[in-house]
Amino acid sequence: MASMSDLLSMDSLPAMPAAMARIIPLLLDPGCEWEALEKVVRRDEAMTAAVLRMANSVQYGSPGKHFDLRQAMARVGREALRRCILEQQVSGVMAGENAAFGLLRGDLWRGALAGAIAGEELARVCSPENAPLAFMCGLLRDIGKLALNVKYGAQYPAMIAAHSREGSSFIEAEQEALGFDHAQVGAALARQWRLPERIAMAIEMHHEPPPPGPGHDVLFDIVHAADTISRWAGLCVGAEGMDYRLAEHVRQALWLDRRSVEREIALVWEKLHEAEEWTGGTVKKGAAA
Amino acid sequence: MTASIIPNLILKTPGRVVVSIADLALTANPQETLVTYALGSCIGVTIFDPVARVGGMLHFMLPQSTLSPDKARKSPCMFADAGVPLLFTKAYELGARKERLVVCAAGGAEILADEGHFKIGSRNRTMLRKLFWKNNVLIASEDTGGTHSRTLTLRLSDGQVTVKNKDEERTLWPA
Repeated sequence: MASMSDLLSMDSLPAMPAAMARIIPLLLDPGCEWEALEKVVRRDEAMTAAVLRMANSVQYGSPGKHFDLRQAMARVGREALRRCILEQQVSGVMAGENAAFGLLRGDLWRGALAGAIAGEELARVCSPENAPLAFMCGLLRDIGKLALNVKYGAQYPAMIAAHSREGSSFIEAEQEALGFDHAQVGAALARQWRLPERIAMAIEMHHEPPPPGPGHDVLFDIVHAADTISRWAGLCVGAEGMDYRLAEHVRQALWLDRRSVEREIALVWEKLHEAEEWTGGTVKKGAAA
Repeated sequence: MTASIIPNLILKTPGRVVVSIADLALTANPQETLVTYALGSCIGVTIFDPVARVGGMLHFMLPQSTLSPDKARKSPCMFADAGVPLLFTKAYELGARKERLVVCAAGGAEILADEGHFKIGSRNRTMLRKLFWKNNVLIASEDTGGTHSRTLTLRLSDGQVTVKNKDEERTLWPA
């Protein structure tokens, strides 16, 4: 059986971008000064470019009219700035092909962004105070797939398929094959990256959120539902297909029904198109393959 | 080589055309292959006229455009009831004839233990069958349902349609 510590001690594991490490605490602090944010953004050329692209986009009013960084940040506002920076930072880590999960170049990133958007939208309705964290956790929920891809690559689907049983979920098959699953690997990686513990927990629980009682957190429910919605939208469907469950207590707690879920699927797809304008990515599946 | 020649070469290079989610593609180029990846609950539909040598592929996500008429106007291929008619209309514009069209479909998977609450994949399948039944269109072959993801391919040189899931690949048409 594989060892999680061996997996996490590999030299070739993806590292969190230094700029991301600096900016996450600032983005999560509602009282953070504008100047502190600007200082971190200015030090990263790609991050600065993304913010300027966003401010100069059609969505923010004046295409062709140019703003400097401070004006651009003020123009887009704190919420959009947070999304823009995170999208730009995480896209660099997750843009590559992921053979372990049968994902073409760009697919893992599109799935991450879809989960972030779905999470934020769900949180706005049922737990608005959690919306920024839901976006961040949705974006990072599958970072465990990065580590498993480095370790096992294209062998991974067959390794897990050998432990798959009729009606069992992919998570159960991973646990049987390895003794842990990609969500747990993601949480361990998040801790290694020194992300806040609640984010690590949301990553760990994104397929199996605990029911109401000890350990329950509405954020975990939201990230779990967001993952399923992204899958329905076709935006993080890898080799494991649809072999996951939506927890019954989450369906009930978030009032998910056919209509609300279909609306959410359509909305996620539409917002991905908007987001690609400043991330420079593409929603078009396999376009880079 | 001048800059203006480069895009031309890229655009005219025969080969694979990737059909994105909520999108469609049509071609009369026998050297092209249409492909759509990772169909989960979404459905991929292929049509091929063996006489006119026109082929098309649609990748839709949801059954009914009544969900959001505004989104359906902007992105008709998101929905079965708006995307399928568009696929056929575009094929007719390229010379295809309805009575000659070979129609295949793949996708429409479900998450585990849906228990009838959502049935996104199954509702997509039902809507597709309803549309075809109403319009006297027969599905030549399909690979739908289950929980796995699929890749659907249509080769224009001979109209061959293949579907791949996990490591298995099979030909949907010709049977």
